[in-house]
Amino acid sequence: MSTNASNSENKKVTLKSCDDVEFKVDIPVASRSILLKNMIEDVGETDQSIPLPNVNEKVLKKVLEWCEHHVNDPQPTNDDDDSRRRNTEIDDWDQRFLNVEQDMLFEIILAANYLDIKPLLDIGCKTVANMIKGKSPEEIRSTFNIVNDFTPEEEEQIRKENEWAEDR
Amino acid sequence: MSTMSSEKNFPAQTVKQTSSSQPTLNSLAKAATIPSELIFQIFKYVTSTTDLKSCILVCKSWCRCGVEQLWHKPVFTSNQSLFKLLFTLSRSSQTFPYSFLIRRLNFSFLGENITDQILSRLSSCERLERLTLGGCRRITDTGLLRLLEKADGLIALDVSDIENLTDAVLDLVGERCRRLQGLNVNSCKKVTDKGIMAVASRCRSLRRIKLSSCENITDESVVVLAKNCPHLLELDLTNCNQITNGAIQPVFKHCTQLRDFRLAYCTNLTDDSFIKTMPSIFEQLRVLDLTSCALVTDQAIHKIVHSAPKLRNLVLAKCGNITDEGVYHITRLGRHLHYLHLGHCSRITDHSITHLARHCTRLRYLDMACCTQLTDASVFELSHLPKLRRIGLVKCALVTDQAIYALIENRVAAYTLERVHLSYCVNLTIPAISELVNFCGRLTHLSLTGVPAFLRPEIQRYCRLPPKEFTPHQRQVFCVFSGKGVKELKNYLSGLIHRCRVTGVVNNNDDDRVVQPEMTGSADVDDSVASEAEAETEGVGEEGGAGEYDNSRGPRNIRHMGHDESPDGEDGDVGNVLLDLLRM
Repeated sequence: MSTNASNSENKKVTLKSCDDVEFKVDIPVASRSILLKNMIEDVGETDQSIPLPNVNEKVLKKVLEWCEHHVNDPQPTNDDDDSRRRNTEIDDWDQRFLNVEQDMLFEIILAANYLDIKPLLDIGCKTVANMIKGKSPEEIRSTFNIVNDFTPEEEEQIRKENEWAEDR
Repeated sequence: MSTMSSEKNFPAQTVKQTSSSQPTLNSLAKAATIPSELIFQIFKYVTSTTDLKSCILVCKSWCRCGVEQLWHKPVFTSNQSLFKLLFTLSRSSQTFPYSFLIRRLNFSFLGENITDQILSRLSSCERLERLTLGGCRRITDTGLLRLLEKADGLIALDVSDIENLTDAVLDLVGERCRRLQGLNVNSCKKVTDKGIMAVASRCRSLRRIKLSSCENITDESVVVLAKNCPHLLELDLTNCNQITNGAIQPVFKHCTQLRDFRLAYCTNLTDDSFIKTMPSIFEQLRVLDLTSCALVTDQAIHKIVHSAPKLRNLVLAKCGNITDEGVYHITRLGRHLHYLHLGHCSRITDHSITHLARHCTRLRYLDMACCTQLTDASVFELSHLPKLRRIGLVKCALVTDQAIYALIENRVAAYTLERVHLSYCVNLTIPAISELVNFCGRLTHLSLTGVPAFLRPEIQRYCRLPPKEFTPHQRQVFCVFSGKGVKELKNYLSGLIHRCRVTGVVNNNDDDRVVQPEMTGSADVDDSVASEAEAETEGVGEEGGAGEYDNSRGPRNIRHMGHDESPDGEDGDVGNVLLDLLRM
């Protein structure tokens, strides 16, 4: 997990997944996560590993792969919130990266949220949104394996109450 | 949550709640189990309403998130959908407290379909943050007072063009909406100082206020605004013709964040408004509109550009005192200047425009309509501007085909030009314009009203329809191409030129661009063009007359002024440019 070997930037930090697997990671790579970035800044240099109780080895490995590929991206600012929202495109590398089993996709989203990696969270959410496109409620349920917990009456009322909404 | 009434406690967590952000990942993370804040995130990218409606029927947790998003900013494409929504709100048993979910309402698309009764039925929307009612002309104080009764959280209100609206509504806004940041009362002709002061004295976080054509407004309310609202970013006093220098001084003194200041048609203003009162540093100002502030001179411009060196948009149309000296001052703005309107500043010459083109290299929009002294020399210089999108040369009658060729040849402007206004540039011919439309791939608007070479049925059939209120003469000379029309003109002209080449009617061998197409196949072509040109000169004369009439009458009716003045709906037409600005 090393990028360019310039000596000063080559400082590493150790991350520990919830299943006790340790990853030695370049600080700039780990810093794609705002959570980790803040932690590293607060703690300063340390040999102790940072435990990540919410992320398992498999998911952490995947997330770090993304961080490494995007290590040189500019940090997102709050200002682009709206523009990111409007843009539903995902670049090729990211598309391939997220071409995983559905459970993994959701685990990546959860991890990105926990680790505070906005761009990764965004593309994860976009990917799920794209899976919803054009589907009926029943098709969505079967795609994501969700149980319909409405009574028929509830479902019918919701349908009626929201009938007004039309495509713009 | 009082209106909620459903069995099984289903909508328990509607109004935005943050669920635990530390989910455990050891079990299977199925879509149904992910926290609602992430479902929200996902739904932000579900852009189609149909898809979102499918989502809310998937399961209860998806429903809560989807419904909140669907109702946050309802958009209505028809009356029918609005009435369906009102019906939902009127139901005694609602699955969710829908009226609390509505944060933004925009009725400007439904305009006159909106009535007081409709507004009353929305009065339960107590959490409204943004309300846009621009152009809903049928509504009155009655409906607005009902709707705003509980709108404590209102942040932005647009009631422009509601002519019935009175100070009573603004009194209530001042009373209730203390968090208000934006108010648009453009063309609410009944509004007076009393209403504006009620808002200004209480809504101290006001950032944007538009008072265009509120003709009763005097210095008094502007002074109160300036003193109470230090966060003002935008102040639009267009066509508030009672405003005097006395209103301007406190604005410059107190509103140190002001970015956008519009004073068009405040005809009483003089240089004193700027020379004596503008602080030596007013750096944040980006937009200044002084259209028809005809008393303003070069001295004011000198002060303005020194005080606000980062001005981006400067409108000086119909400031007839401005000379080359004023334009030289403007060049100090350098690359900060993007937009400059000098229409009807007829004292300006090629000297200052040359200087301008060399210093303000980021200009995107430049209007020089009726700057009658300008020649091809100005256009030669301007053709080097790398970002020029719009150029206005209406009635710059000295401009010839050579100017058009320069625009193309430099291959700079040709890639950026989108709108080109050449009406009444009577010397222009078909070969030059044909090249222009061929080379400027982004061209979406081209006006050639009153240019004799183009006043032929076979060309005018591609131009858009003249506005209804035009006289027969105005219709006759109307020649404006936009959108599809530009493409059709391009195809027609290239076909024409091609035919001319094939038939050998080319009168200049060393430069095949200068093709003289044979329009009528007769030797009298030149004569007929000449006689048309003469007829047009008359037309121009008439227009000058109309312009004077306009000035004497005052800018009461901005919306129609352009049409009165010029048969060309867009060009040399300060009124419409102004309208564009108002919409920005």
